[in-house]
Formats: sequence, C-alpha cells, structure tokens
Amino acid sequence: MSSYRNKADQEGRGPRSTRLVEVEKPLEGESIGGRIEIEMDDKKIFVPLGTTLLTAARQMGIHIPTLCYHDDLCIAGICRICVVEVEGHRTLEAACGYPITEPIRVKTHSRLVRQARRHVLDLLLSKHYGECYACQRNNNCELQALAKEYGVDFYRFGHPNVPRFEKDRSSYAVVRDMNKCILCRRCVRTCIDLQEVGVLEAVGRGGQTSIQTFRNLPLGEVICINCGQCINRCPTAALTANDPTDEVWAAIDDPSKFVVLQTAPSPRAAIGECFGLPPGTPLTYELNTAVRRCGFNRVFDTNFAADLTIIEEGTELLLRLHRALVQKDPTVRLPQFTSCSPGWVKFIEHFAPDMLPHVSTAKSPQQMFGTVIKTYYAQKAELRPENIVTVALMPCAAKKFECNRPEMCDSGFKDIDYGLTTREMAKMISEAGIHLPDLPKSGFDDPFGDATGSGVIFGATGGVMEAALRSVIELVCGVRIESLFEQARILPVRGFEGVKYAELKLPEIGAVPDLLSHLFQDWKWLEGATLKVGICHGTANARKVLQDIRAGGRFSECHFIEFMACPGGCLGGGGQPIPTSPAIREARARAIYAEDEAYQIRKSHENPAVIELYREFLTDGPCGKLSHRFLHTHYVARGKYIA
Amino acid sequence: MLVTEQDKLRQDIQAWAAEWGNRRECLIPLLQRLQREHHEISDFCMQVIADALEIHPVEVYSVVSFYQFLDERPKGCFVVRLCQTLSCDMQGKARVARQLETDLGIGFGETTKDGKFTLEWAHCIGMCDQGPAMLINETVFTQVTPQLVHDILQVCRQSFGSFSFEGREDLVGARNPSFTGPLTFDAVKPSVGLQAALEKGRREIISEVAESGLKGRGGAGFPTATKWNLAAAARDEKKVIVCNADEGEPGTFKDRVILNRYPKLVFEGMIIAGRAIGAKEGVLYLRQEYTYLREKLEGVLQEMRSRNLLGTAILGREGMDFDIRIRMGAGAYVCGEETALIESLEGQRGEPRNRPPYPVNTGYEGHPTVVNNVETLAWIPCILAKGAKWFASLGTDKSRGLKLFSVSGDCERPGVYEFPWGITVMELLKQIGGENAKAVQIGGASGYIVPASRFIDTIAFEDISTGGSVIVLGPNRDMLQLTRNFLEFFVEESCGQCTPCREGTGKLLDGVRLLEEGKCSMRYLKELCKLGETMRLASKCGLGQSSANAFLSMVEYFPNEIMGRTELIL
Repeated sequence: MSSYRNKADQEGRGPRSTRLVEVEKPLEGESIGGRIEIEMDDKKIFVPLGTTLLTAARQMGIHIPTLCYHDDLCIAGICRICVVEVEGHRTLEAACGYPITEPIRVKTHSRLVRQARRHVLDLLLSKHYGECYACQRNNNCELQALAKEYGVDFYRFGHPNVPRFEKDRSSYAVVRDMNKCILCRRCVRTCIDLQEVGVLEAVGRGGQTSIQTFRNLPLGEVICINCGQCINRCPTAALTANDPTDEVWAAIDDPSKFVVLQTAPSPRAAIGECFGLPPGTPLTYELNTAVRRCGFNRVFDTNFAADLTIIEEGTELLLRLHRALVQKDPTVRLPQFTSCSPGWVKFIEHFAPDMLPHVSTAKSPQQMFGTVIKTYYAQKAELRPENIVTVALMPCAAKKFECNRPEMCDSGFKDIDYGLTTREMAKMISEAGIHLPDLPKSGFDDPFGDATGSGVIFGATGGVMEAALRSVIELVCGVRIESLFEQARILPVRGFEGVKYAELKLPEIGAVPDLLSHLFQDWKWLEGATLKVGICHGTANARKVLQDIRAGGRFSECHFIEFMACPGGCLGGGGQPIPTSPAIREARARAIYAEDEAYQIRKSHENPAVIELYREFLTDGPCGKLSHRFLHTHYVARGKYIA
Repeated sequence: MLVTEQDKLRQDIQAWAAEWGNRRECLIPLLQRLQREHHEISDFCMQVIADALEIHPVEVYSVVSFYQFLDERPKGCFVVRLCQTLSCDMQGKARVARQLETDLGIGFGETTKDGKFTLEWAHCIGMCDQGPAMLINETVFTQVTPQLVHDILQVCRQSFGSFSFEGREDLVGARNPSFTGPLTFDAVKPSVGLQAALEKGRREIISEVAESGLKGRGGAGFPTATKWNLAAAARDEKKVIVCNADEGEPGTFKDRVILNRYPKLVFEGMIIAGRAIGAKEGVLYLRQEYTYLREKLEGVLQEMRSRNLLGTAILGREGMDFDIRIRMGAGAYVCGEETALIESLEGQRGEPRNRPPYPVNTGYEGHPTVVNNVETLAWIPCILAKGAKWFASLGTDKSRGLKLFSVSGDCERPGVYEFPWGITVMELLKQIGGENAKAVQIGGASGYIVPASRFIDTIAFEDISTGGSVIVLGPNRDMLQLTRNFLEFFVEESCGQCTPCREGTGKLLDGVRLLEEGKCSMRYLKELCKLGETMRLASKCGLGQSSANAFLSMVEYFPNEIMGRTELIL
C-alpha cells in the first residue's frame, strides 16, 4: 500500500521503540509456526505470526479504542487506552503494540480493562482544557468520542476550566493550543518519522513532559514547512489550521468587495467527507452552487491555473534542456524541480537552499491565478483590482503561508487574499445552512470556464508529472498522447509508492507549435532523446531524492522531478478533512482520476482559456517577459539554523 | 569576537562528533563533554550537534531536556547537587539545603549571578548509608552538615576553575565505610571463575548458571540462564552484553560498592556472559552520579587488556574475543529499565520500548542484547569458581544463593550486607541494629512498606521481593512524608510517555497532599487506590507499574496514621 508507512517503521529516524514490531519467523515457515490461533472474547481466529492484537481484533470486528495509534504512523504504545487482558499475563497489554507469537486468550472488555480505560480517559481529561462548544474539533474529536464511548459522566481527577498556555498563533498556517494536547505524540511521529521535518518533539520528562518546538520557539519562527500533516493526525484540537473564515465572511458581506473563489481539485474530491459521505465522492459542481449561495461573486476552477503552470513549467524545462544540450551552458541546473507544493518549497528553502536553482521559477497554480484575476480578469470584467478579494479553496495548510509571502504581490496587490482549507469551506457552507450533497450542480464562471483533465490530476501524487508529460510529448512529438498511452493514462507515474522513477523515449519529433515558435526553431536537438523523470511525495521521500541527487544517483540524471510535501500529494494535504489514512487517500485518488477521464479536453495546452490568455494578455508567450513578471517568482535561501 | 568564538565551538563539536563517527549513539557523550567544558549547551551548539549527527535540532533539545545532568541553560562552574531522596531526607537534608541556600544566596534550580555556582536537587546519588550526601560536579560529599557545607563552598570559592579536594577527607567524607561483615566476593580470587568458564563450552556455562538458580539481582528476578539462553539462540552476527550500573533505586548503593571493590568480578562476569551468548562487545552503562568511579574502572579495564583478559584471543584462546567500554548515563532513574537503557545507549530519550520484542532478540541497535545487573554479573565468576551446587544450596527453593542488601535509615549499622535469600525481616533488622523499627521500606521507591506485623515474612522472590534496598523507618517516622518523598521522585523520574504513570503519579501526589491537610475523602482515597491498581496493570514499563506500590502499601498498612489529620497533628 503506502510505502512511507514502511519507511517510517524500518528506517525512520525516530526511536526504535516506536517502530513496528518485527518477529523472527521460524525457519520452518508456515508449516510450523506461521499462523497461530488466538481467542478473543470467545471468538477464534487464525492470524499470521507477529500480527498485533489490534489488527487481529479489527479483522474479527472487535472494537478496541485507540488514541496514540494511527494507520500512517509507527507504533508508540503510550496512551494505554487500547489495553486488553491477556490470560496469564501479570499486566494488561497494549493491543496496538503487542505482537501475537503464541496461542493466547484475550479479553477486550473485562472489569480491569474497563477500569483502566476509564482511568486513562479521566487522567487525560484532567489535563485537557476542554471547551468543546468553542472548539474547532467539536464533534470530530477522538477524545470527545472516547469520553462518550466510555460513559464519562464526571471528572474523577478534575478538569481544568482555565487555559494554562497561550495559543501559539505565530504561524500563518498552524495554530498550536497546548491546553488541549494529550501527549499522544502523533504529531511528533508525523513531523519526525513521516515527514522528517523535525519541528515537534516531546520535551522534558515525567509530569513536565510537553510537545515543543526547538527551545519552545513560536511555530512561525522555526523550520516548520506548514504542511499541516500534524493537524490531520492530531486527535484533539491541539493543532489546528489558522482559520480566516471570519475575514472571508466580512469580505462577502462588504458590498464594495468582489469576492472570487478558486477551487482546487483535491478539496472537491474530499469535502463530501465533512458532510457524511464516504471518501472519494466528488462534489465539484454541487460545490459551485454552494459557494454561490454563500455569497461568493465568482467561482473559478484552479485547474485553469494548473494548466497555465504546466505550460510555463514545461516551457521552462524545454528551455533548460535547450540551454544544457545545445548551448552547453554549464550554469543551467537540471533536474528541474516542481514548485507547486508550498510545503515542499519551504522544505527546500530550509534544508537544501543550495539546490534552489533547480526549482522551477513558475509560481504555484494558486498564486498564478491570483495574479491573473487581479490583472487580466480585472481588466476584462472592468473591476478595480483593489476591490477584488481573491480566496483560494485548497487542500493545504501551507497555501495560507504561501499567499502571505511578501514576494507574492505581482499584481500590485496581495495576489491571493485568503487561503481556505477544505474543512473551513465545509464550515462556511454549514454555517450558511446548506447541506452540500443535496444541491443541484452548476458550472464554473467564465472566462476561465471548465479546465482540462490535466489540471484535475494535480491533486494526486504523480499528477503534475503526468500532466506535464501529456503536454510536452504532444508539443514536441506532434503525436496524440492517446496513441502512446491508452486513454492518456500514463500509468508509470501513478501510484502511491513513496519514490517513483520513469523513463520515456520520445518516439519521434514534430514541428514546433505556434505557442513555442518564439523560443525554438526546431526539435532536432531532442531527436531520440529519453525523458527521465522522478516523482516523490512526503518530504521524507523528498529528502531521500535530494540525497540521491547529491550522491550522483539515478535521480541526478533526471530531467524533471515532481515533489509534493504531503503523503499522497494534495489529496492528502494538511487542509483536508480529518481523519486521514492510506485507504481514505486512495479513495480520493480514485475520484480524481475518474474526474480526469470525464473531461473532454485532457491536455493543458489545449485549454481554450489558456490559449486566449496568451493571445490577449501574455502576448509574448510562455516564459516571455510578461509571463516572467506575472507568473514566475524567486525563492529565499532560509537555511535550517535558527538564530 | 563573537563569530570566532562560534567558529571555534563549531570546530570543536565537529571534531568530537567525528571521533565517534558522527553516529546518533554519541549524542549523549557529546553533550556531556560540551557541558563539562563549556558549562552550557547553547541553542547554537544544539544545532551544530544536530547538523553533525544528521538529526533534527529539536531532537537534541528533547534529549537535553530529558536528562537531569544536561541542561540548555548556562550552569555555574560548580554545580552543587543535594540528594533529596528518602534516606538523605531522613538524615537531615533540609537543614543542609537551607544552609546552601543562605550561603549561596540562591534557591534550588538557580545559578549565582557571578556564574560560579548552580544549586540543584539530585535524586538518590547512592550514598544512602552516609547521608546527607551531595555532589559538586563529579565529587561526592557525604555526611554533610550545615557547618561542612560552608567550609566546602569556601574551598570552591577560593579555587580557580578546577578544584580539588584531594587530601581533604575532613570535608569530602568517607566513600566506602560502614561495610559490614565479609562478603563472598572477598573470597573469590580474580580470574579463577573466568579460567573455569574458558574451560567450558557455551552450553556448559549456561547450564552451570541454570543449575545455580541465579536470578536477576536488579529487582525483577528474571532467571539469568533463561535470558542467556534466549540471546544465545538468537541468530545475529553481533550480540551485546550490557552491564546495568544505572543504580538509581532510592536506598540502593551495593552496585557502587561492588564496582569500587570488585570491578574485576563484574568485568569477568561480562566476559563469561559474552562467551555464553556469543557476544564480543560489552558495555558498562554507568550512571553519571558515579563518574568518580570511572577513572578507576578504566584503569582496571586497561590492566585486564594488558593481561590479555580482554581483547582478542583472551588467555590465548582463539576466537575468544571480548572488549568492554564504559558509557555514562546522564541522570535518569528510568534508564535502569533495560529497554530505556538501550534507548539511552543509542542516544535517545530514555523511554522504555514496547515489549515484546525483548532485548534478547532485538536490543541495542537491533542486535540481541543481554542486560544484566552489576551484582548478577559479579556472582557469575563466583558461581563458576565455587560451583553451581554451592550457590544453589543457599537461599530458598525459588530464590537461590546470596544477595547483597543496601541498608540505610534508622538503624545502628547502615551499609552493605550479604545474606542468603529467605532471611526474615526481623533477622535482618537484628543484624543491622534496627529492631525497634516501625516499618521497613524494602525495594526502594518501587518497593513496599513492610509493617512490623509482617517482620516474620521472608525476603525472597516468592515473598518480599527486592533489588536490595532496605530503608529502616524508626518509630517516629511519618508514613505520609515517606510516600510523598517517593511520589515526588516518581513525578520527576517518570519518563512521561504513558498516561497512567505520567499523570497517575501526579494524582497520587496530590492525594498525599490532601491527606496531609486532612482533606481527602474516603471515597477519593478509594478511587486513588483503584487508580494505583490501574497504574500497576496498564503502565508501559516496570517503573510505571511499580510507581504506586508505596502509596498502596501505605494505605493498606497505615490507614490510621494517614487519615483524619489536622494541622495540629502536623
């Protein structure tokens, strides 16, 4: 399934104590000890040696509560809510971390088990500042759910009624409220093992233990990349996204403001989860209706900007290749890295600033769109840009940081005013009294209209690469992509492996299309070339790829590498509905690929609105002076040292 | 100026890290060296270290914050640490503490303005028989009185940087007196046991140990031969023997005496264990409080190497390779738990692991690892020299052999004693001159209060089990004060991972405070006892599981003494 899970278990940098248990298999194999029969609450099951009690229970349909356990993370075994009684054992065992190595009898709800679970809950509640009514996670809180499940009707060991710590609101993306932390350390394992960013760790010991950043500095001052993966895995509201919905409502309510929303593909494939639908139910067009009812003046499809990104980034790649292969320019840096994931951009700014020249200067779709709306669209619709409020619905926490970067003001104004997460959008829709799944469908507003399938698949890992390949191959080879790949599905770049590598030999070369004729005379220099590409998701995998490039491994010979900060790509982003798991992300990916195939136009360079934009506005073509002014940016070498 | 200083620091750290091969394992030694030489682990240094070891700065910060002897705040040239654990508490630590505060003009946890002194509390520094005890840097001072404190600080004040108390026994106090009666260890000549072991094969050694019935002397009482057998059966190129010298249980100091007097027996025990399981590598994990022993131990190791008792082809036997290195702890009681100890060796926070897998299969860096207590290992050469039958003939059926006891508290002759298992509490009290005791705390903070009504019971794994700590409580001792002292110890020494221990110890301590004020309802007391049961059953490691013992036995045996208190009684 998901290889980053295994990675964290086997080679993660966290302590060995948190890795998945490995049990030595007997040499004789299956015949002797491979499978074991255990008895749990009078049910019997055969399980492979080394299966944890929790896994076995789930297979049998027996419910064992968990808190510190998470499908994406290595095992901690520290909250002790999942304890069960194993016959003959002196103490209770944590089901999440206990591997079955012998036939045992297990009771999952004996008196001692119930007493222990209730005590664990009471102890957690005695430190958890619960203000459930005023909590972002009200009704989606694992602690709250457990309190109900175990019938907590009074606080045995007290309950704090005043906060002890100040909320840390220093970050544009993530808010930390340590009053609600229950020390399950999922965020620590997310940050250190899963993402290898290393911002959060347990600090101190005993009763003084707390989760802190380096020297307990505010989150805005440390090397956080704002990916928000910790938010997705926090069982309570100790970690939440910085919520700008009040400001967005204020803009909507202000008659002088023209509020424009762009929606990215991933939230559309996931927002149904906030309304009780199963993961993987796309609600793109119902969402359009909903946001109009909320009062947004226009709703555009971010895919337009994704298509624009592909053209700009693809052209930049061709230019880099041309400079390297034809002009033999030693300063050109290859492989080119994608730049659409703001978490990844901040990651490389911190951890590999020397490699920044590899990163495409093209802005992310969100920011390109912001500029285009406040320039091109403002002209076209005869609006004053200062009156336009651009809001972006993104699956992402880092987008909140990105839109606040000082360099993102190419339109002369703040290109994107507010970044909303999927969860915040769902909240606004509920607030407007709308039940999203019941709404009629409606399309996107002109002039950007419906985009292409290439834009949609940006949401899944490998999507940017697939979109880029579709366009580059057609533009260079002059053949239809469908003649090479059935239904334009470039399968080698799809899938959830942490790091992927693919090679593609250009079958032939064609004539230079009009779009690029100002830059290239012919494609002869690409004749017989093999395009080598890499794809990775999750910054832990990104780190591996960067190391491989430094060491001169196979990724150093790539031409183009897609990096996504979040596991699974945008569909697993830090702004997506909670909970998350490999299965949920796979369901969302299926929705995205299905949506791609439903499009008439599936290649970025065929998007009529994009062609129109180059004809009317960016008249000197892709990577021209105008596009550099509006659609490209630069990066900051931040480094990892904190002064 | 500042820049060059930073550059110098960076170069130093990078050079030190390179000496250890830039491995995570060296994090703690690196931090200790930095602390020792620069009296401060600054933000900058933590980041340089993280860079050198390819870990995250926050991980370094996290490790620094875990260990008591590491601190990210600047420390004085002299770090004064006064032991606050029960035995020293009973011997008048409070007045010494007051004198330290007035003399230095600072409170505990503070550093003087001139940066010369830092005053801190310490948990049991293993000098319980000669309390109150304190450490200044690495030097230990025993039987400290308020007057002595003043004189000692005066010597510090007058010294430049380095200070020496050599020849000042009047101030330092004795380190190894009150040693009571002969020990078997005296009678066993070094290298006799080792010779005997080298004559035997792996299986023979293990079966000899099995026949002796030796069980782990650290407290848990796991049969040593079984442990060795499991490790011997594990398939791995590399195996490790770890000697657990992180003696932190309040009231225990026998390991210090063994290491000081019979280090060769311990090292031979490690070599024999290595032969038995097929390990070539031994690590002595020595608690930082015992740093003053290190030089001596290194000398013994060097001598053994020169005599070919360590190294390759020991005593001319081809393939019999074994060497021992010493790793210092950094001040964490929980590191006495074997998996926490292994975590600490790997440069992590000393947090116990999930078990299974057990260290004998997956231990230090994933290799099969045997962690044995100092005393256990010291008995090994004795058993091989004198025969398993001799050892098995002593003690009881389920607890064979002899045991060392660390005796402190209200008795006439505190010190280290050797008794066979199965001795009754009363007999023991007679030997040490503590017959009029009201109760005895056996097993330290994680042990039980044994009231006078149970003095006829025996000390053995099957009855009153212990790692050897015996604290005698005289007729006037307040049980609540004792329990509070232990709970304060646990609140700070819990690793903070699992909920029952991290939060539970705090709740029990709050409960003791309520009892002291006479404000604890019977209903709440019962709830706390149930919580104690949960802590015993649901905590992740042995420390957590035993952290409620003192509280539970207090409630069981002394309900009349703890309930219904008013301010007047206090």
